[in-house]
This record gives sequence, C-alpha cells and structure tokens, in this order.
Amino acid sequence: GVAPLGLTPLTADQELQYKRLQAASMHMPHPADSERLRIHFPRQPVTTPPHFPQVPPPLSDTVDFFQRLSTETLFFIFYYLEGTKAQYLAAKALKKQSWRFHTKYMMWFQRHEEPKAITDEYEQGTYIFFDYDNWGQRKKENFTFEYRYLEDRDLN
Amino acid sequence: TNFTSSMHFQSGVNQARDFNDPAGLQDKTEVLLREWINLYHAPTAGPGSATAFTHFVKQMNLHGFLKTDELITRFFRNCVSFCRDVCIRSLSEQQQAQQSANGSQIPSTTIAAVNISQYRNKCFQHVDPFVRLVALLIKHSGEANNPSTKINLLNKVLGLVCGIIFHDIESSNTEFYQLPYHRILIMLFLELNAPEPVLETINVSVLMAFTQTLHLLRPSKCAGFAYAWLEIVSHRVFIGRMLAITPQPKGWAMYSMLLNDLFKFLAPYLRNAQLAKPLTKLYKGTLRVLLVLLHDFPEFLCEYHYDFCDAIPPNCIQMRNLILSAFPRNMRLPDPFTPNLKVDMLPEIAVSPKMHCDVFSYITPVELRSNLDSYLKNRTPVTFLTELRGYLQASPNSSLGTNQPGDDGMRYNIQSLNALVVYVGMQAITQIQSKGQTPSMSTIAHSAHMDIFQNLAVDMDTEGRYLFLNAIANQLRFPNSHTHYFSCTLLYLFAEANTEAIQEQITRVLLERLIVNRPHPWGLLITFIELIKNSTYKFWSHEFVKCAPEIEKLFESVARSCMVNKLG
Repeated sequence: GVAPLGLTPLTADQELQYKRLQAASMHMPHPADSERLRIHFPRQPVTTPPHFPQVPPPLSDTVDFFQRLSTETLFFIFYYLEGTKAQYLAAKALKKQSWRFHTKYMMWFQRHEEPKAITDEYEQGTYIFFDYDNWGQRKKENFTFEYRYLEDRDLN
Repeated sequence: TNFTSSMHFQSGVNQARDFNDPAGLQDKTEVLLREWINLYHAPTAGPGSATAFTHFVKQMNLHGFLKTDELITRFFRNCVSFCRDVCIRSLSEQQQAQQSANGSQIPSTTIAAVNISQYRNKCFQHVDPFVRLVALLIKHSGEANNPSTKINLLNKVLGLVCGIIFHDIESSNTEFYQLPYHRILIMLFLELNAPEPVLETINVSVLMAFTQTLHLLRPSKCAGFAYAWLEIVSHRVFIGRMLAITPQPKGWAMYSMLLNDLFKFLAPYLRNAQLAKPLTKLYKGTLRVLLVLLHDFPEFLCEYHYDFCDAIPPNCIQMRNLILSAFPRNMRLPDPFTPNLKVDMLPEIAVSPKMHCDVFSYITPVELRSNLDSYLKNRTPVTFLTELRGYLQASPNSSLGTNQPGDDGMRYNIQSLNALVVYVGMQAITQIQSKGQTPSMSTIAHSAHMDIFQNLAVDMDTEGRYLFLNAIANQLRFPNSHTHYFSCTLLYLFAEANTEAIQEQITRVLLERLIVNRPHPWGLLITFIELIKNSTYKFWSHEFVKCAPEIEKLFESVARSCMVNKLG
C-alpha cells in the first residue's frame, strides 16, 4: 500500500500546523512577491489556452535575440521594463546599432550623417532620436551632443 | 561572533513584544516612515536612494532616533508593524473587490488579475522603501573595518521580524498573512546580496543570519508561513549564494539544515499518505526544488544524502530516488544494461563516497554503540546479536533518554537502525580493504559484520526487516565503495536467506524503487539486474514472483526492460 508502515495518528500540534497550512494555501505567494516592483507591467497571471505559447522561445534572453527585434520594440523594453535584464539587453542591442543614450534628455540618439563638427567636448550635426513622449523617431538638425551627457559605460 | 549575533537576534525576538513605547513614538515613527517612503519614490532619490538617505538620516537624528539602540529597535518594530498593517488592509480590500467583481459582467479572471497586481503593488510600495532603509542603515553602520556592528543590526532586525511573526501567529491563530514578511525577508536578502564590496565582506555572516531566521520560521513551527518559506529557500539568488558562491562546506551545511526542516515537516503527513491539496502544493514544490538541485548541484545531494534519507519517510520512493540518483558531475556511469558489465572492475568502486556526518554518533543508546564496537572487534558475545533487535525496537514505556525510539509513533528507531547499517558497512569495507581485498560475494561473508546483517534479516519482524532492507537500499547509488559493498550484501542476504519471506522482501524493496518514474539510482539497477539475470539466485523459481497475475506481468515487463540486451 501507499502507507506500508500503517497509519500513525497525527499529534495535536501536527493537526494544528496542518490547519495553518490550509489557511495559508488560501493566500498563496504570488510570483510578484519576490520580484522588484513592476509599475508598468505588473504580473497578471491568467489561464491561457494550451494551444497558445505558454513559454517564450528558447534563447530569447540573449543579445542575439534582442538584435533581431525592431528598434521600436527595444525602446519600448528600455522605457517600460526598467531595472530588468531585458532593459540591459535592449540597451546593449541599441548600442550595437549605433544608438547612443543622452543622460540629460534621457533619450537615444543616432547620427543621421557624419557630424559637421567634432571636438573633445561635443559633436554637432543632424541626429535621429527617439521621442518617448510622442512615441516616435524624430530628426533634429544642428544638434550639439555634449560628450559629458554621453552614457558610455561598458555593458558587459 | 556567533554568540553575539544570536544574542542580538534573540533580543530582537524579545523586543518584538515590548509594546511599552514612549508616548507619541508610534505616531512619530509613522510620520517619519511615510516621509521616507515619499523620498524613496521621488525622482530625486538618487541611485540606490543615496541622496534621499542622506537627507533622511538628518531627520532621524533630529528626532533623536539614532541616539540609542533601544529607540532604533522600537522604530524598526513599529515600521514592521506598519508595513504589516498596510499589507493586510490592502489584501482585504482586494478580497472585497474580487467578491464584488464576481457579481459583475466582466470576466472575473481578468478583474482578479488586475486587482491582484494593483493591491499587491500598494503593499510593495510600502514594504520596499522600509527594506531599503534597513539595508542602507546596515551598510552605513559602524566603521568600515569593523563589520560586527552591521551584522548585529541585521540580526536585531531579523529577530524583530521573527518575534512579530510569532506574535501574529499566536494572536490570530489561522488568520495569518505571509505577504508582508515574505516581502521583507526576500527583498532584504536581495538588497544585502547585491554585488558591492562592503556587502561581500560580510556575506557569510549575512547568510548565517538569514539561515537562522528561516530555521526559526521552519514549517513545523510556522506552517502558516510554509509556502513563502519555500519560495525564499528555493529562490534562485538564495540557492546560488548558499550552494555556488559561498566557500564550502559552510553554505552547504546551512542549506542542508533548511532542506531537512522541510522534509521533517512533510514526513508525518507523507508517511500516512495524507495528501490533501495544501500538502500536495508543498510536496510538488519540494520535488521541484529537488529536481533543480539534482540538475545543478548533484554533489550537494550526494554529500548530504544520508541526512535527507533519514528525514524522508520510507514510503516516499520518488522523493528519495531523486536524492539517491545524484552523482558527481565528472563521473561517467556505465550503462547498467551493458551485457557482462563487470562492476568490480570499475576503479570508482574502491573510492568511498563523501559524507559530512558521523553516523556512529547517530546510533542510540550509547550502550549499543560500545557493545557494537566490541562485537565487531571480537565477534563475541553471541548474546549481542540476540539483544540487537531489542535495542532498535521502540519501547513506548521506557523513560531512559530524551530521544526515545517510538517517539514519532514508529515501532523502530529508524535513525538508529540506518546509522547502524551504514556504520557496520563502513567498518566492513575498511576491514576488507586492510587485507588488500575488495568487497565481493566471498570477501564479505563470514565476518562479525555479516553476522549482524544476517541476524537482523532473520530475527526481525516484517516491519523491522523492511526498514533494515531500506537502510541498505539507500546506499545503492553511483559507483563507490558503499554502493558496491551494499549491493553485494543485499545479494548475499538473498542467496543465503533461510526463508522465502526474506527474499520476497528484498525483491519488494528493490522493485518498489524501480516501478516508479525516473530517475532510478545506478546501484539499484545494477543490483536488481544482477538478481534477475544471475542464475545462481534462481530468482524466477520463487513463489512470490508468481503470487498474483498482475505481479507476474509486472516482473515480466521489468525483466523485458532490464534484459533487453540479452534477449535482443
């Protein structure tokens, strides 16, 4: 049988602990409980149909995978999944595509053409940047990118 | 330092119930904490809340909170209570919202999901700043070269949290919410395990403080916290720190204690096969943790298998198989189904497996220990063999020691029996090896060690023999000297059995470990295949093989899968 040594009556304490466990099972821990707070995308587990993908594709947490995403997707991840590995990978992928982060404007810039001027302190020319307020790419002519605002940490 | 840290921890536990705060302190605490929460969430908080913290420490000083240890302890206690109250309020609001949503037209699952995150986030927004404040105060307390102030403060806070949990459990019976404490503990753990030099230097002490906390909150003491407890113990950062990063054996020993706490809680329910839903949830979680450990830290399971098997009830076959199937990663196990596999030719079988515990000290009573040693040495007196069973049997009316056999409702002292079997086996291996031989069917026979095993097989009743054979089967693992010795022993006991009942039980113990789903320990397969393939055991001629049509079919199917190479 399943209890080859016979049933052993539970002690009063074991019965009490079982009742407490039962009560606790009504308020199970939530996946979010041990994660950093996610303001924009809190976890909202719902049962999805089994024919719907239940897990993301394999190797989707690699830079190679992020490189294949559109820039818009990368910007979305960057601004809405703050403090996650995904944000880090998105930033890495954007850098590889020659986007540079401006720490004062908190926006990503890409050279549209060779800068008209380059000094030790800044460069100047036409840039494409991603405007998170209006959610789209914009062009800015005669923009001065001061290097002291250039985010140049080595992402490893 | 161990003593002082547990002193600070204990004073925290005690002070959790000291509600005689100076007048106005609770209000002042709440005002200050709310201010801190605002600072924490403000865009000007700076990286890691550094700017906010500088500002806030001034505030704390202004109100005199940092003047004495006592005041800061009271401050922390009120903060934890405040966090708990916010969480409970928010969670009951969520329940109400869910109840009213159940009556509406919108699919309730959607509403429930949205609500849960909304109300949970409110909890997190209050708890997280408090945790950050504790972490910052710990990081900045004391001098740079004197980490004890930091560790004392941490122990104090953890002691306070424990004390408040105990108080909550006692005063609310079953209405207990895991969330605030779960969040405080795991977030504080993550904060204090961030990759910062100042934290790295105190890391082992931090892990010890958390281990002590979790051990105090173990499921058999705080079952209401059991699910959150398992979430913390199985958190990837926690496992990583304890088993991968911390130098051995410290982290491993601490982690094994916590796993043992879990097994010990589950044992009485699992033994009775009493698996209502709340227990099934915890049991499934336990299996998952074991699977992770088997995959990522097999050497850990190898080294601590003895303690774990001691705590896991005999009928939990699969759970034990997970532990017994672990083998060192650099080892290549020969396929047990290889025809004419010569196990005794493997170099690994001369090597004894690592064991961290001293099984001899697990043999009780002490008197049995000394008599056993003297019998192993002199092979006399014969009366030792006849007395042996009495030592291992439960004596419900005895009042000799504190740890009496039968305390757990069993008729045998399983711990003592397990220890005796392994100890005798280890002694036997040493003796055989000292003669320049290796254990084999002939070298293991006719010794004081085998006297004991044969006597136990013949003299014990069905229950005792079942436990005895299980103790042997628990050693059938990856190729090592114990596996080899006990494999030979089990086969020898089968061959030399004077009744078919012994052979039936040996078969039962082996078979019941093989008919469950994978994984199956290597040594177990080796032993069973040898039993059914080697004609000297006349396995197929025994009555119990054909006792029932379904048993006969079972044997046929096992034989087919075991002997596929021979037949093909």
